[in-house]
Amino acid sequence: MMDRREDQEPAERWREASEREADLIRQAQEGDRQAFEALLRLHEQHVFAIIGSFIRRKQDVEDLAQDIFLKAYLAIRRFRPGAPFAPWLRRITVNTCYDHLRKIRRRSEVTFTDLGESDRDVMHILIEKGYPSTGTGSGDQVAARDLAERILAGLTPKDRLVVTLREVHGLEITEIADALGCSRAAAKVRLWRARRAMQAWLQRLIRQEEETAHREGRGE
Amino acid sequence: MTCRDVTQLLKREGREGPAFADDSELALHLKSCRRCSEALKVVRLSSALLQSLREEVGGSGPTFYPRLRARLEDTEPGQPDINLLDALGLARRLIPALAMGVLLLAGVTLSISGSHSSLPVQVRSGTDVYAFSLEEVNLPGVVGEPSRDQMLAFVLTQSARPAPDTDPGCDVRGVTCEDRGSR
Repeated sequence: MMDRREDQEPAERWREASEREADLIRQAQEGDRQAFEALLRLHEQHVFAIIGSFIRRKQDVEDLAQDIFLKAYLAIRRFRPGAPFAPWLRRITVNTCYDHLRKIRRRSEVTFTDLGESDRDVMHILIEKGYPSTGTGSGDQVAARDLAERILAGLTPKDRLVVTLREVHGLEITEIADALGCSRAAAKVRLWRARRAMQAWLQRLIRQEEETAHREGRGE
Repeated sequence: MTCRDVTQLLKREGREGPAFADDSELALHLKSCRRCSEALKVVRLSSALLQSLREEVGGSGPTFYPRLRARLEDTEPGQPDINLLDALGLARRLIPALAMGVLLLAGVTLSISGSHSSLPVQVRSGTDVYAFSLEEVNLPGVVGEPSRDQMLAFVLTQSARPAPDTDPGCDVRGVTCEDRGSR
């Protein structure tokens, strides 16, 4: 009996939250800006997290978030009542991030010789010990993030988007397909290609590292 | 331990995080197999780099919502949000479809004109020979498809005959070609 009540409580809370969200959506569709802002506050963390996986500078993240929220505001009247709001907002977010990635110039592939001494050390630590999980914003974490950005910047915008949505945000294939506006099969193929491209790239980087170490070991 | 076992472990590590224990058998294999050792490094580096992107991003700053409010005040919900960039993006998306349409149209035009590409051959006798291919030409005295030599011989024979326009009878009798045509 107790268990059933405990089960009902989260369900009840979820129902209340979704009713509140539906109210806010309805009010926002009628032009209530405060309701729209309250709605955004409910979902801003997710939007900021997606943007943050592509852009580092806080000011740039906020600028892109502004554009996303403005787009959502302009489109809110076209939102179908009763439909889930989060995937709708996520689609706007992903599309805006994709446009942003297309605008910024795609970098050429990073080779091992392009990496500085500190980047090489970080790469070595990541291979040997994995990502440093202790402490937030530690030097190694920041350096790892820098290296990740440099490497991912060489992927095509769509590949980068798909890999990040899947591997960083843990989205299901169906959710990725929905966010990209493509079929499930297309999203799956894209993810497979993107993973393969990334792995091939890292493999080349590791081989170059080994060759360099080998040469240095021979004293060349 | 075989390479296949290591591949399975790598797949698991890629999905669920570290799957390798301090296994002497595995360590022995990795030491002797360069391919597996490299594959392990790739998986580890890949997952570490992606993990670095999972770091929590702070939410909005104190000026974020006031700035957004100011932008929203200038905007009405439901206004079409097509700016120049969107329009350019739309045009760019339409380019492949337009290119396909033009190619299709060109292909259809070529195939239609190609099927009537042969010109009528007018021989001096006034006989028009319309031929779309040599197979369609029936020459007197030739059974089946004529050869190039037979065609040439036929044309030369026809050319050697006096043309009706130069018929001296026209001038002698004072009749016009139209008159002759009506006869």
